[in-house]
Amino acid sequence: MKPSPYELALKEIQAGKTDMMPSDILAFAEPLRSAVNAMIRLGRFSLTEFTEKLGFTREQTKNIADALVQRKLFEIAKYSTAEETFYIAHLSGSTRPLTRPPSDIWKKID
Amino acid sequence: MSKIISVHSFRGGTGKSNTTANIAALLAMDGARVAVVDTDIASPGIHVLFNLDESEMVHSLNDYLWGKCTIEEAAHDVTGHVGGEIKGQIFLIPSSIKPGEIARILREGYDVGLLNDGFRDVVDKMKLDYLLIDTHPGLNEETLLSIAISNALIIILRPDSQDYQGTAVTVDVAKKLDVPKMVMLVNKTPSTFDFDDVRTRVEQTYDATVGAVLPHSDEMMVLASSGIFSIRFPDHPVTKGLRSLVDQVK
Repeated sequence: MKPSPYELALKEIQAGKTDMMPSDILAFAEPLRSAVNAMIRLGRFSLTEFTEKLGFTREQTKNIADALVQRKLFEIAKYSTAEETFYIAHLSGSTRPLTRPPSDIWKKID
Repeated sequence: MSKIISVHSFRGGTGKSNTTANIAALLAMDGARVAVVDTDIASPGIHVLFNLDESEMVHSLNDYLWGKCTIEEAAHDVTGHVGGEIKGQIFLIPSSIKPGEIARILREGYDVGLLNDGFRDVVDKMKLDYLLIDTHPGLNEETLLSIAISNALIIILRPDSQDYQGTAVTVDVAKKLDVPKMVMLVNKTPSTFDFDDVRTRVEQTYDATVGAVLPHSDEMMVLASSGIFSIRFPDHPVTKGLRSLVDQVK
């Protein structure tokens, strides 16, 4: 049986283990990609806003948001209440160290 | 409401920094509070256009990314450096031009998430009307970040075969990132070209609005980034084209 858009969205997020980078967003299918793009632009948003944009049920959207928190794209805001969860979108929270080139060329510049 | 505008091109040498500096100046001349951030950490250069000498750079974007300062502390008021009648203000967050610091950031990398947070913080804390992001050419995580958080994106290309294919990729990516406003700028167009034809072809090829087709300019080459073109040449066709572009993105 074909997975629902919700199941597909959750699977896409959970398939990755690293912190989410902008290029990861590009690979998402709809409606997840557009909804995440919109939330990233808002920066600070509520679960209600995310639910309206995503088009899933509130519970499903909460699961999606939790998965995105795990991948450090979203952070639950301290001002969240029992009635409403607020999030902050942080694109690419990971540190991205580059590997050193074979030669010690950097020493010549330091 | 504040607006974040990214200026991007697939290839180098298209005129991103000059375009960014001129847009900033034109917006500030109209009274806006504008900040420009040079995210081309590997090859910074826009500070030259704003006459900000290395000796005047108290802090740079590099210092912010290393946690040495806040993003506002890296913002230099360059309003008085550019000449002209500026009713608003222009701030520049430069990238370091010191070879050791460029090497360090390339060697060690940095938290791209900090860049994201920095953009939002500087808009809020400095009460900006506009934040302009001068990007590194080509597609990488940093340029994707800029596009993803921008309210408007200016994609620059030259009427040159090396620009066409890569620009299509950039346009496609920008559409996937749902940029609310995307405008193409065709720069350095030879005077022998039919400008209306160039506009039509680009619009049809990329299914995107062309904000302006700017002519190749000897005056721009002679100025050689020693100042802001639109301030030095307020009635030049290039300046008129840039004003039209500003009207479409603000």
